[in-house]
Amino acid sequence: MSGPSFGRRDERERRSSDGDRVRAADRRRVRWPVLGVVVLLGLLLALTTLLERSAPVTASSAPSVQSLADPLLDAPVRCTRADSTDRIEELRARILTDGRLTSAIATACPRLLDGRTVTYVGEVVGDVLRRDGGAWLLVNDDAYALEVGPFGPHREQRGFNGGLAVWVPDGLHEQLGEPGRHGRRGDVISVEGTFQRADPDDGGGMTVRADTLVVLAPSMPIDEPLNTPLVIAATGGALLATLAWAWARRRARERAR
Amino acid sequence: MSSVLRPDVDDLRLIGFYLGKVLGGLGLVMLLPVPVALVLGEHNAAAALVLGASVSLTVRLLADAHLETRRTLSWAHGMVIVALAWIVGSAFAAIPMHVSGRFSSALGAYFESVSALTTTGMSVIHDLDHLETSMTLYRHLLQIAGGLGIIIVILELFSAGGSRVGTLYASEARDERILPNVLRTSRFIARVTLAFLVASVTALVPALVSAGFAAHRALEHALALFFASFSTGGFSVMQASVAYYHSPAVELIVLLIMFAGMLSFALHYALWSRDLREFTTHLETRTLAIIGTGLLLLLSLGLVREGTYADLAALVRRGLFTLVSAVSSTGHQVNAGETYLTDWGVLAPAAIVGAMAVGGMASSTAGGIKALRLAIAVKAVVHDIRKFLLPESAIVVTSYHVGRRRILRPETARAATTVLLLFVLSFLLGTMTALMTTDVDLTEALFEGVSIGSNIGISIGVVEPGMSPVLQAVYVLLMILGRLEFVAVLVLGGYLLSFRRSARVLGTPRDVSRGRRTSR
Repeated sequence: MSGPSFGRRDERERRSSDGDRVRAADRRRVRWPVLGVVVLLGLLLALTTLLERSAPVTASSAPSVQSLADPLLDAPVRCTRADSTDRIEELRARILTDGRLTSAIATACPRLLDGRTVTYVGEVVGDVLRRDGGAWLLVNDDAYALEVGPFGPHREQRGFNGGLAVWVPDGLHEQLGEPGRHGRRGDVISVEGTFQRADPDDGGGMTVRADTLVVLAPSMPIDEPLNTPLVIAATGGALLATLAWAWARRRARERAR
Repeated sequence: MSSVLRPDVDDLRLIGFYLGKVLGGLGLVMLLPVPVALVLGEHNAAAALVLGASVSLTVRLLADAHLETRRTLSWAHGMVIVALAWIVGSAFAAIPMHVSGRFSSALGAYFESVSALTTTGMSVIHDLDHLETSMTLYRHLLQIAGGLGIIIVILELFSAGGSRVGTLYASEARDERILPNVLRTSRFIARVTLAFLVASVTALVPALVSAGFAAHRALEHALALFFASFSTGGFSVMQASVAYYHSPAVELIVLLIMFAGMLSFALHYALWSRDLREFTTHLETRTLAIIGTGLLLLLSLGLVREGTYADLAALVRRGLFTLVSAVSSTGHQVNAGETYLTDWGVLAPAAIVGAMAVGGMASSTAGGIKALRLAIAVKAVVHDIRKFLLPESAIVVTSYHVGRRRILRPETARAATTVLLLFVLSFLLGTMTALMTTDVDLTEALFEGVSIGSNIGISIGVVEPGMSPVLQAVYVLLMILGRLEFVAVLVLGGYLLSFRRSARVLGTPRDVSRGRRTSR
């Protein structure tokens, strides 16, 4: 009885050993292409990181406007519609009389300054939308507008843009130059006007209706320096793609034959 | 015994071959904005795009020459290729973004790329308002490519693969073949998109010009608005999103484009064929009409109760736009994100979260759980209740209309409820991760978690350039899971695990010397 039993066990062990060899061979055959892809992706990441860091910086982060007034609240706040009138009044008591409204304060507590006269400072970006006896402006008061200038000549990352819509009547917007876009910093302006949490003339949008407008810093072009290593890498990449294309065509022709 | 097929070299060859095609398609998408960059003198952007395109096209050409195979795609291959197409494709699409320096890290650029391709529309870019026109165009082109489906784009660009690519088409969370042939289906989708592009731009340009735009800027914004709205992506040219335009006409046109993007392509086909009855009897249109009306009432009630808007016109304009933006999974905003928390009370944001979770129609460009699944899940519950109430001998049959009258089968109900459950789990994962890695409260974390998990893009402020890498990585995963509706990514996970496992399919042992399968 024991003989055949041992025989079956031997057979099982032999099969198991064969199976292990198959699996090991398979793993080796599969491992290299997978590793190759991982290494390729790693190299790609290293190359792009290197190119990203190689961009030249030509501008210092000097503020576009000197002696800017402080925000009208000295600490961040957040209020909700459920807040009592007392809390809003308490916050109003903290408002600095000569402080300026910021878009962060406006969105964090829209009720606080609804219908009040405010001063708002920022860079005109995008387009000057002239119509109906005035113009809509998007005026950003983020770090790119007031502290470091548009991204490009410098590489300081200061987060999202932030701003408010400003309605400027005819007679005020004519003094504006080109608004800020890529390659240009727009006019940095100071407006005095009424803050509207839900402006009925803008279908409920948050706006500042300007009564006065002063250009603090005129619009100016911004030269972004050429990232030479990136251009060289792109040219090299294009050449490589062309060579790959020629090689692929040749192989396809050979296969067709 | 449960056995998982361990991938062999031939499997990898097949996967690599099709993945190469996907990367080639993305490379061509990268090349499209290059002439714009050169004309406008945006040299760094041009170089970044050329670099990305070169790398992607080189990989495609090498894959074509070296990995060509006539092996048939199995479902598992299709799922793995599609999942990898979105994961690896997003990495290659992120190359121009990463080298631009506008992202805090490589992960940030990858997040942006995934967000574009999955049509989520959340952004972590620094200083968007001074971004190059060509890069703006690139971000929007990625959205339309992702919205239509990378595979559809590849079918269009290369017109190759035909029936074999049908497996990929279905794996890309598209289970409806509108026409018998997948290539013809993709052509139809391209035709619909082109028709809407022409109609939308024709309507938007005059609306933008009358809003105060110069003609060339109107064209640029019109194209961007179309790509972002029809793809239900929601990226914008300016950080202020659609609020930037201050134009009811523009908002109305964008609303209609978002609505068109939310419809399934099968319904587009019915409308194209003037089959209006299909539109009114389709289970999803009915479900969306009911859910949409209910949520609009809830949202309006919330805004009225809070006194957010003094007049009805403002309430309807802001409320309806935001609701359609949420339910269509576009994510365009007409309010600053934080004001949902500070100025909208509780009920209105809850309605928006509900709309985001539901999403648009199945087999459309929209994300979310999809109205069809919700309707089927509800029908399944009603079916069970009816079974309990009727005598045991009674045979209960529940039917629904999607293209034709169909009987509700247990496996259909199970599939719908499984995906629904997975979506809920993904919302929870996003919420919990935000709570663990930031100091936001539950409302904010839940709002953002649902927005990300459903590929919506309306942000309350949790997503920002400086967010934690852990949260960023989890959000990336959720965006891909949501876009592919879990199955393809889960199959890929199983495939990767099977590398480590020694299980083999019964009856297909491998030849030791050649390492290939032999028949027994």
